[in-house]
Amino acid sequence: MLTSFILWIVFSTIFASRLPNGQRFAPYLMAGILLNTFFSQGLVQSAESIASNGGVLTKIYVKPQIFAISSALAALVNFFIGMIPLTIVATISGQQIAWTFPLVFIVGFFMVLLVAGLGLSLSILFIRFDDTRNIVNVLLLILMYLTPIFYPISVLSPRMQSIVRLNPMTSFLDCFRWAFSNNAVSTPRDWIYIALSGLLSIWMGTYLFKKFWPRTVAML
Amino acid sequence: MALIQVENVTFTYRVLRNRTGSIKELFRDLVHGRVRITNYVALKNVSFTVERGEVFAILGRNGAGKSTLLKVLAQVLPPTSGKTIVNGSIAPMIELGAGFHPEMTGAENVLFYSALMGRNIKSVRARTGAIGDWAGVTDHMDFPLRAFSSGMVARLAFSTATDVQPDILLIDEILSVGDAEFKAKSKNRLISLIHGGAAAILVSHDMNAVRELATRAMWLDAGEVKMMGSAADVVAAYEASQA
Repeated sequence: MLTSFILWIVFSTIFASRLPNGQRFAPYLMAGILLNTFFSQGLVQSAESIASNGGVLTKIYVKPQIFAISSALAALVNFFIGMIPLTIVATISGQQIAWTFPLVFIVGFFMVLLVAGLGLSLSILFIRFDDTRNIVNVLLLILMYLTPIFYPISVLSPRMQSIVRLNPMTSFLDCFRWAFSNNAVSTPRDWIYIALSGLLSIWMGTYLFKKFWPRTVAML
Repeated sequence: MALIQVENVTFTYRVLRNRTGSIKELFRDLVHGRVRITNYVALKNVSFTVERGEVFAILGRNGAGKSTLLKVLAQVLPPTSGKTIVNGSIAPMIELGAGFHPEMTGAENVLFYSALMGRNIKSVRARTGAIGDWAGVTDHMDFPLRAFSSGMVARLAFSTATDVQPDILLIDEILSVGDAEFKAKSKNRLISLIHGGAAAILVSHDMNAVRELATRAMWLDAGEVKMMGSAADVVAAYEASQA
């Protein structure tokens, strides 16, 4: 919340005028931060959950994937709670919750798949190497700047725009902002892209996890 | 058909030399071409079967592979080669209180642990009070676990773990906890569980307990089966080697 406020003060003067007509900067920014928090915290927690529950996993037979998926679901719950202040901010900015709101659940669903899949793949590295967390945090920071969270994508050069468009998070954000209060434009490509990235991520995550887990469990 | 069948199980721990614990170090060692992986063989071609009604003891010095073998049986560690076939529900009691969380209340921990063990939550919820009573911590059940003394945690863990009669019981050491009175009480309960189930596998250094409880025993030495036979014979041979 406080981060949103500071970023709002700093960037509203710079970027607010660049948003298309009818879009408001405060809910734009807050929606961006909310979804990015869902992604980055969910990812780190789901990757860490397996390493930190090693004590249980080496004593009792439990499917380890459960820990990663439940962490992703916990991040989803936080995401929904965060929508309460977002609604207030959107209302104050003179916007209404769009009738497309139920589509937010679809965004949340594919986000859980994305987060859990990446979390599962990374969990193996988290167990083997102590410094994975630091490296992941740096990568997440880079990814954050490559996502239009606090800037409108139109401020970028056409070349940069095409790079940022490749980032699935950009599509997730467009879909979320559009579905929530019609505060962005989402194309069918965005919806297909989030579905594909979510499904690909969970498939890759479960595959890599199954492949490497037998060799990794002994290191817990 | 045997209740537990273990065929040629080998388990190897892969150990990276130079103690590479971070990506940074791994990268450095890769550049210098110094990544070496050594295999530490904890179990070598272990085979045995446990029939219905048997109490099977595993003996051996520290580091002989006893605990690794129990973990393989509990399906926690997948064997590197070979296979294990287990017919029946298995209850590992490898470490008490694994999965207990300090911020949850006693009652919540009982439910959580039981869920991890795959028990029916509804029936456990009805049993929670009785589990607390048996552990003697009834008045603490609604406090977070960090308000428990360590003895109380151990008693609650024991009470929860032994509340349900499993088909096959895996025990690492005869887990007696708490004061003298509770020790006797818990030992009695464990013995009745061992005899009540279809079979039990126990790892112990307490030769008197093994002689008393076990029907058959196996002596593991550096991951290999050194001797297998009736409990009395194996214990005698093992004790002779220790002297």
